[in-house]
Amino acid sequence: MESIEKKLREEAKLLLAEKRVDVIVGFEKGTLPLVATPCFIENPDDAEKLVWNACCTQNLAKFVHDVLSQHRASQVRVKPEDRKKKVVGVVGRGCATRSIVLHLQEKQYDRDDVVIIGVPCTGYIDYKKLSGKLGGEEVLDGAAEGDQIKVKTASGEKAIALKDVLAASCLTCRFNNPVISDMMIGDPAPPMDPDHEYDDVNAVEAMSVEERWAFFEKEMDKCIRCYACRQTCPSCYCKTCFVEQSQPRWVGVGEDETDTQVFQIMRMYHMVGRCVDCGSCSSVCPMGVDLRKFLKKLDKDVFELFGNRPGSSLDDQPPLSAYTENDKENFIFNP
Amino acid sequence: MEKRSIKKDALAGIIKKVAGDMLVYAPVKEEDGVFFRALGAGMEPQTTYANTKNAPKNIFFPHTEKMMKYTRTDKGMEFVENGDPAKDAVLFGSRPCDAKSFTLLDLLFDQEKYKDPFYCDKREKTIVVTQACVHPPYSTCFCTSVDGSPTSEAGSDVMLTDMGDSYLVEFFTPKGEKLLKYFGDAKPDAAAEAKKKEIAETAAAEIVSHIPAKEIKPILDVNFEHPFWNTIHQRCLACGTCTFLCPTCHCFDISDEVKYDDGIRVRNWDSCMFPMFTQETSGHNPRPSQKERWRQRTMHKFKYYIDMFGAISCVGCGRCVMYCPVNIDIRKIVTDISKL
Repeated sequence: MESIEKKLREEAKLLLAEKRVDVIVGFEKGTLPLVATPCFIENPDDAEKLVWNACCTQNLAKFVHDVLSQHRASQVRVKPEDRKKKVVGVVGRGCATRSIVLHLQEKQYDRDDVVIIGVPCTGYIDYKKLSGKLGGEEVLDGAAEGDQIKVKTASGEKAIALKDVLAASCLTCRFNNPVISDMMIGDPAPPMDPDHEYDDVNAVEAMSVEERWAFFEKEMDKCIRCYACRQTCPSCYCKTCFVEQSQPRWVGVGEDETDTQVFQIMRMYHMVGRCVDCGSCSSVCPMGVDLRKFLKKLDKDVFELFGNRPGSSLDDQPPLSAYTENDKENFIFNP
Repeated sequence: MEKRSIKKDALAGIIKKVAGDMLVYAPVKEEDGVFFRALGAGMEPQTTYANTKNAPKNIFFPHTEKMMKYTRTDKGMEFVENGDPAKDAVLFGSRPCDAKSFTLLDLLFDQEKYKDPFYCDKREKTIVVTQACVHPPYSTCFCTSVDGSPTSEAGSDVMLTDMGDSYLVEFFTPKGEKLLKYFGDAKPDAAAEAKKKEIAETAAAEIVSHIPAKEIKPILDVNFEHPFWNTIHQRCLACGTCTFLCPTCHCFDISDEVKYDDGIRVRNWDSCMFPMFTQETSGHNPRPSQKERWRQRTMHKFKYYIDMFGAISCVGCGRCVMYCPVNIDIRKIVTDISKL
C-alpha cells in the first residue's frame, strides 16, 4: 500500500505540474484516527497529502460529477469562445470507475474531462463492524497496514484482520480493479469473493412475504431523512430530487412513515441498472439503515433479466436505455 | 439543595419505577447504537454508556410535530388546535452537554416576547436527570471550550454522579425534587462534596480536545467574505447528519399536508445544509452553494447566536465530528478560522 501511495503522489504531482488536470480528487488523512476524507488538490506540492488505504470509503465519482457540473454551470454566462475546459483527475478504484462509466454512458461529461488514476482496491472498512469488534470502544489511534488494522483503544492495542471488518460490498466485489483508467498504479488487486455476492439477497428472498415486509419496515423506521445516502450516491445527480419537488409534491415530509418508505423505494427504483454496489449509501448512513440488501436485489434482477452489470464496460448499452424484442417481460405478469 | 446517595445497581430499577408512574425517556440500546427512547414495557434503560447517537432535543422539539388541523366545510374553513398537551415526563441520563443544549434552545424558543407553545409546554413538564461524565466519553468531546464542563449543572434538574460504589444524586431545582421519593433516604456522607469536586476537576482535565471557540467571534465579525470559506465545502455531501444529530440545531420548516378537505399543519426539522432551506419561490437561492451554507452554519453557531443571545450555540458533544460521513470537523474549522 505504501508503494502505491508513493506512486500515486508522484503521478498526481506530475499531472498537476504538467497541467494535464486542474484538480485531483482523492483522499487525504482525516482529523479522526483511522479515517480518510475526500480532498481536492490543485497545487502540485499538495499531492503529498494523498493517501490510499482501507479507510478510503466514498465513491469519488460523485465528486467528479459535482466538480464538473459546477464548472459547467459557471461557464453558462461566458461567451462560447472564452469558455474554459476543466479536467478532473480522480483516484479511481473499481466501483468509482464503474460510476464514471455510467456517467459517460448517461452523457454527464466527456471522456476527456476526466483523467482516471487507476488504483487496485482490497476493500474499505465498515466502521460499524469495526466498532462491533471493539465492543463499542472508541478508536484512539490506528493504522491500516495491508491486510491488518492496528487499533489503539482505552483498553489497549489490538490487531484486527481487515477481512473481518470489510464492508459487505467489498467482501464480494467483482470489480475491485478499475474497469477503465488512463494510468494504473500498482499491480491489480487479488480477486475478492464474487461467487457469494448474492448470498445476502438470497437470504432475504428466502423469507416469507411477511418477514420481508417486517425487515423493510424495520430498516425504514431507522431513517431520519437526512438524505446522506442520496447525496453520496454518484448515480443520484438529479438537480432537483423528486422529494424536493413541490408542484406537485410527491412525498410528504411529515411524520407519516410511508413517506420515508416512498422516498427510499423511489430512490432505489431510480437505481435499477445504475447501482454499482459501491456501498457508499450504507457507509454514510448515520442510522445504520441496511440499504445495500435492497439495492443488491435490483442488481441481481438486472443481471438475471438483462445480463448486465452496470458500469462494467463502456461498450454496454445501459439496460433501461435499450430495447430488444427478446427482453424478458414475465416479471410484469409474474413478479 | 437536597442530596441523596443510591447504590449503583439500584439505578435501573429506579428508572423503571418512575416509568411506571410517568413518561420516561432514557437511553436504550438498539443494534449498534444507544438512542433516547420513550421507555416502554420490556425496554432496558442503559446506565453505563458513552453518549446517545441522537441528541435529546427531539423530546422538546420533535422531528415532526402537528401544529393544528383544519377542514374545509360548506361554511368555510374550520381550524382545530393541536389538542394534545404534553405529559409530565422525565428525561433520564442526558449528558451535561446535552442538558446545557436545553438552556441554549430556551433562549430561542422561550423568549419574553416570543414563546413557542409546543416547545415550552414539553420543556416545562419534563424533569431533566443528567448523568455527569466522570470520564469524558470521547476524545472528540470539547465541552470545556464552549463554556461547558463534564459535570456542568446547566439545564439539569437532577444530576447523578458515579462515585465509584454509589451514585451521588443532587436535586438542583424544585422541579427535580418531585423525584425525591424515588431515591430513598440515604444521604451522602460528609466526604461526598469534596469527592465530587475532585471528580469534576479530573474529568475536566481529561478533555483532550480544545478549540478557540470563544476567540473567533471578532474574526467572524469581519470576515463574511473571505477566501477561507472556499475551503470547507467541496467534500460536503449536503446531507443533514450534522444538523439532525446536533443538540442545538433548531431550524424548522412549516408545511401543510392536505388530503381532500382535511389538512394538518406540521413543522419538521430543516437543515441549513439542504439547498431547499433557502430556495425561494422564484427559483432564486440566496445561498446558492454549499459554501454559503457552511458559512451560515459556522456563523450561526459562533457569531449570530452570540449577537442575539450572548451564547455560543454549540455544546461540544462532538456528534457532528464523529458522524459526519466525510469527516468535516468543526474543531478544525474553528481552529483554522482562529488563524485567519
